[in-house]
Amino acid sequence: MAVYNEFLYDTIGNEHPRKNLYLLEVARLQEQIRNSAKSDKTEFVRELRELKRNRKSHPYNVSLSAFKKDEKTFRKNLSESKKAYSREIKGRFSPKITRLKILGFLSGQMEPFYKPFTGLSYDALMHYEEALIIQRQIDGVTEFISEHETAMADAKAARKTIGGEDNKKARAGLFDFKKIQRQKYKADIASLRKKIKEGIISKKAFEAEKAQLKKKQAYAILVKSYELPGKGNRELIKSLHYQVTKGFRREITVLNANIADLRRKTPVEITRVVPVNAFLSFFLPGFGQVLNGQYIKAIFFFLISIFTYVIAIPYSLGYANFQGDGIAGLISLAADGSKLDKSLIFMIEGTLSVYLIIFAVVLVYISFRDVFKVDRDRIRGVRPRNWFETKTSLFEEGFPYMVSFPAMFVIVFIVLVPITTTMLLSFTGMDPQNQSKFPWVGLENYKLIALGQGIAGKAFWYILGWSVVWTLVATTLAIALGFFLAVFTNNERIKGKLFFRTIYLLPWAVPSFITIMFFSIMFSPNGAMTEIITKLLNADAAIVVKYNPMLSRITLIFIQGWLGSSYIFLLSTGVLQSIPEDLYEAAQIDGATAWQKLKRITLPMVLFQTAPLLIGQYTFNFNNFSVIYLFNGGGPFNPTKYGNLAGSTDLLISYIFKLTTDNQYQSIGAAITMVISLGLMVFAFFGFRNSKAFKKSDTE
Amino acid sequence: MKKQKHKNALYLSDRQPLAFAGKIGVLMMYIILASWAAAIIWPLYQMIVSAFNGRQGSYLILNREFEFSWEHFEYLFEETLYLTWVKNTIFIAVTTAIVILLIVSFTGYAYSRYRFKGRRASLMAILLIQTIPTFAGIAAYYAMHTIISNIIPAFSRQMMLVLIYAGGGIASNTFILKGYIDSISTELDDAGRMDGCSSMKVYRLIIMPIARPMLAVIGLWSFIGPFMDYLLPRVLLTSPQTYTLAAGLFTLINDIRNTNQPAFAAGGLLTAVPIVIMFILLQNQLVSGLAKGSVKG
Amino acid sequence: MKVELKNIGKKYENRENFTLRGIDLTIEEKDFCVILGPSGCGKTTLLRMIAGLNSVTEGDLLFDGRRVNKVAAKDRDIAMVFQSYALYPHMTVYDNMAFSLSMRKERKKIINERVMEAAELLQITEYLHSKPSDISGGQRQRVALGRAIVRNPSVFLMDEPLSNLDAKLREHMRVELVRLHKKLGTTTIYVTHDQVEAMTMANRIVLMNDGKIQQTGAPDEFYEKPGNIFVAKFIGSPTMNMFDGCITDGNFVFDDGVVRIVPSEPLKKLLDPYEGKNVSVGIRAERFEKDSIHRNNIKCTIDVIEMLGKEKLLYCRLSNDKEIVISAPGYNRYEEGMEYTFGFDDSVVHYFNTETGERINK
Ligand SMILES: Nc1ncnc2c1ncn2[C@@H]1O[C@H](COP(=O)(O)OP(=O)(O)OP(=O)(O)O)[C@@H](O)[C@H]1O
Ligand SMILES: [Mg+2]
Repeated sequence: MAVYNEFLYDTIGNEHPRKNLYLLEVARLQEQIRNSAKSDKTEFVRELRELKRNRKSHPYNVSLSAFKKDEKTFRKNLSESKKAYSREIKGRFSPKITRLKILGFLSGQMEPFYKPFTGLSYDALMHYEEALIIQRQIDGVTEFISEHETAMADAKAARKTIGGEDNKKARAGLFDFKKIQRQKYKADIASLRKKIKEGIISKKAFEAEKAQLKKKQAYAILVKSYELPGKGNRELIKSLHYQVTKGFRREITVLNANIADLRRKTPVEITRVVPVNAFLSFFLPGFGQVLNGQYIKAIFFFLISIFTYVIAIPYSLGYANFQGDGIAGLISLAADGSKLDKSLIFMIEGTLSVYLIIFAVVLVYISFRDVFKVDRDRIRGVRPRNWFETKTSLFEEGFPYMVSFPAMFVIVFIVLVPITTTMLLSFTGMDPQNQSKFPWVGLENYKLIALGQGIAGKAFWYILGWSVVWTLVATTLAIALGFFLAVFTNNERIKGKLFFRTIYLLPWAVPSFITIMFFSIMFSPNGAMTEIITKLLNADAAIVVKYNPMLSRITLIFIQGWLGSSYIFLLSTGVLQSIPEDLYEAAQIDGATAWQKLKRITLPMVLFQTAPLLIGQYTFNFNNFSVIYLFNGGGPFNPTKYGNLAGSTDLLISYIFKLTTDNQYQSIGAAITMVISLGLMVFAFFGFRNSKAFKKSDTE
Repeated sequence: MKKQKHKNALYLSDRQPLAFAGKIGVLMMYIILASWAAAIIWPLYQMIVSAFNGRQGSYLILNREFEFSWEHFEYLFEETLYLTWVKNTIFIAVTTAIVILLIVSFTGYAYSRYRFKGRRASLMAILLIQTIPTFAGIAAYYAMHTIISNIIPAFSRQMMLVLIYAGGGIASNTFILKGYIDSISTELDDAGRMDGCSSMKVYRLIIMPIARPMLAVIGLWSFIGPFMDYLLPRVLLTSPQTYTLAAGLFTLINDIRNTNQPAFAAGGLLTAVPIVIMFILLQNQLVSGLAKGSVKG
Repeated sequence: MKVELKNIGKKYENRENFTLRGIDLTIEEKDFCVILGPSGCGKTTLLRMIAGLNSVTEGDLLFDGRRVNKVAAKDRDIAMVFQSYALYPHMTVYDNMAFSLSMRKERKKIINERVMEAAELLQITEYLHSKPSDISGGQRQRVALGRAIVRNPSVFLMDEPLSNLDAKLREHMRVELVRLHKKLGTTTIYVTHDQVEAMTMANRIVLMNDGKIQQTGAPDEFYEKPGNIFVAKFIGSPTMNMFDGCITDGNFVFDDGVVRIVPSEPLKKLLDPYEGKNVSVGIRAERFEKDSIHRNNIKCTIDVIEMLGKEKLLYCRLSNDKEIVISAPGYNRYEEGMEYTFGFDDSVVHYFNTETGERINK
């Protein structure tokens, strides 16, 4: 049973009485039924049934339908008289004014028609007041526009009379003016120069002064140049044109905005109580908007329908695919496709299909929500927004979405789709034997890794162990080095700060691949470092670091310390310089020693302020491919322990690289990638969550 | 007499005089700082020396006789594709910087100035996804490139590389720029609006000029990135003609047929010098930009 | 231009309640209207609504009878001076001032004329081509004013424009602003939480609290006839002495007769309906007189004397330990710890309804 409320509500929740007396009676009776004791109920129920049975003959409904009929004929006549009117004023005014005139004419007709019905229905009231608003504003607008258009016409006419003679004279005048200005400028500069010589002003002040004078001169000439009749006239026309177009748009906007305001204040009254429109149109976005009477908005939502039914669904069904078979391809992985079909491409297109479908579903749901909300609000009394209102809010609230769309697009295609593909890949059996076609294998790859089996899984745990050790030791070493160097360099008693700072910057500034490769050369069997180490240790045979796993690892850690300390050094220096001096002075007065000051003030401050970056350093080093791969390709190799693929200094990332790129074990590589990505994400999540940056944005 | 004078001399420094232990401490610090400086300089010095040492074959011979010569540079320019690699790298770097700047300047502004649904969640999500190594998607990149280049033949591997770099740089740079724009008073926006700007114009005429230093830093970082990266070019680029500097120079020490270590030193030197100069000149901006963005969040 | 606010309300999207509601206010042409109120009462919100920087949730905002609720800020023919000046740091002073006009595609010559005119008026011609960062705070303040003047607006809006200046300069700029207003005659709406600024500059004050207007009127009205307890306490320094008592037998009695005030005849009638009810009485510090001939007196002991030069502030205690402040001419002699009797005239007593806070003797 349809339950009615006695009142209507607008957007900000104000109450309005019903104008529909029939519904009001129904609402009141329903209210009484709810509130009365059981014995009285039957009486009211009967009354209500009676009322509903005689709905058609209810005096209010009778007059309402009479009004509706009247309105229909009025509208028909109106459109005809509008045509007649436009014909009548055709060609007599500029297009803008014609538009305004017609608008004024229409409102002039509507106002008297709707006036008698304002007590009958909110719709009539709204049309009436809308007409009033238009009539109140239209004259001012017309006047404004016609004034400016006249001025524009004058300016354009004046353009024709601008003769060569005047122009020439003005040009000559301008030329002279320029000359005078230049001379003045020169004189000013000369006097400034003299002041410098006498030592009254500094070189810097002179430069600033000179720049100002220059600007001043340029301005003067620029302004003067607009006195040329031609140029001035052009400028005038441009300015007027701007005023006319912008002014017209502005006034129309104001008019529309006032009407929109009226719509917000005037409720709507419908007999329906269930928001069926949303359900009726669920599968066809745009249709529901039509049902709600929002026609232009509907066009845009129809685009969603088009996207869904023309792009997303056909694509995911396999039509218009490059090679794949939509979502089905994701399942079959080209198992029974032609020779040229590649599983990987099937997979990617399948993934793409999934994303398209997700998009489509989200969009369809958004449309559904929109229709539902508008419909539900309408039942409460809130008038649906007209196109002007929708457009305005779209431009205001939609702005951030619109401008971040390119970013979204790039991230979905360059980050999300590949990562999804890698994830899927980790559940397949893509290996050297199955390159072009490969099947789903479920958790097989993960099992291999976890149990340390198979050609690729064998070395996993060793490598993971070394990766973790490497990350912790190398990063911490770099951080400690960088931090202490920064503290020392910034000590107030150390001289030559700039010198040290510049030197310490170098490892960061020289592209690391160059230095790593160079280190690699130096540590090679006949390299300089090998020679030095051999000499230092007084060994008989050359000690080649690269042949010894342990030495290799230690060397790598030191190289990374060498490379990474630079960045931390600069970062800490920045923070150190921003720590207020009085903090230290206070500590000193409290009797803190140098070491205590370092521990209690400097270290926490630096750590706290750079936490996210330090976390970044750890994740960076976990995946620090370059230093490992370029130094010794992950070697030295030890096939009995690591298998043929990995070396004893390989990190997971370089191991994955070898698996996928050199040896084509893509699936197991993908599985390892997933494992470490998950680990890193969890690590980063806790790191970031506890850092200041996120705490801050939490409170926003 | 002499002692007397010493006592009477004015102590001019603002700081308290140091005790003996303190003096030792300062001396220790100098020693540490100097030795670290030496540790940095020495390998770089060796590289410079070997780039100019004519007394070498295709392998580096350090600490031996030295004879100044340009021959390794000549080899670099004549026998290798060095100039092509430079060109490729610059192309990739410039395009990456432009793409990142274009995208990020909008997102940074939007994330700083507008409160919209999904703002925080999306930032967090992107940041987390970003910790996954770019390399993770490599298999897909190949295939995607195949697909796209089939549709748009002009789409080269290098462009794919640009897109990957750009995709990787968006989140963190949005964060950095947002932090910077947050520090610009919103009253300026309001003033701009009153003076007749739309949202777009507020950004273009007011915020962007003020944020220019940070945009410059972001641009610079994005530009330097491709110079530093070895992994992705190595994987994605297949022919020496398309290599970037990192991938190209590596062939000089890794490929048995082409090995010429002195030429590598020369090439490395040539590549490093402009970048180092840039870093030294702009170190303040680079560091402050980096710290500011991350700290402010 | 005449600015009218009719039943204006504002609810921020992320707030539960209305920040402002039921604001009715008319600001006449050429008024210098100061909106005064404690921090957080919604002054800035109101000003920004008038400026068009915040949307209006309900009610009508009329400029010269024209409804402008939805007109964009730039089209309202107003100019605003911000608290932090909001000068564009990357433009010269000249460009800052010319910006709004060039956005409107005004002609260069007119722009130049206007900028020069404003610069001369504010005496900033010398550094027209400097950047805002190269000039002093006071000069920046002038530039901000200049930027507003150049547009030749019908209304000036200012949000605590002097709060970033030091005391001396603030005093100076206060006078300057008033002079400027006299010269240009532009309607000005000025927000501040400083009552001295309000009292000295305004010809009309609007006092707000808790998102509502407490009283509007000329500055002396505020001092002489505060409309309610809040206004009485807010305006004036030291704060007005308040006594919360009740009416007994037609007289005001505070705490069992520690203070007993016999009202004048005409007032008696007004107080009739309050017989037996709670009423608050306020008396300003400077209205107490020693050795008075007045009918009503209080006795108090002086705790502390604060010498301010031309006047003395006496911190006193009544017999029930109620503290009051009395201001006396600086040359009078008082002793700390001694008891004195002070009298006051009938006309200086402000009666308020304690429950509603409304003034009784209108
Ligand atoms: N953008 C906003 N979103 C939500 N609430 C806001 C916003 N701006 C202000 N408010 C709230 O509105 C109320 C009034 O703020 P407003 O800035 O108008 O005060 P004010 O009178 O100008 O105070 P002050 O003297 O400190 O400047 C405050 O409670 C504030 O928290
Ligand atoms: Mg405020």
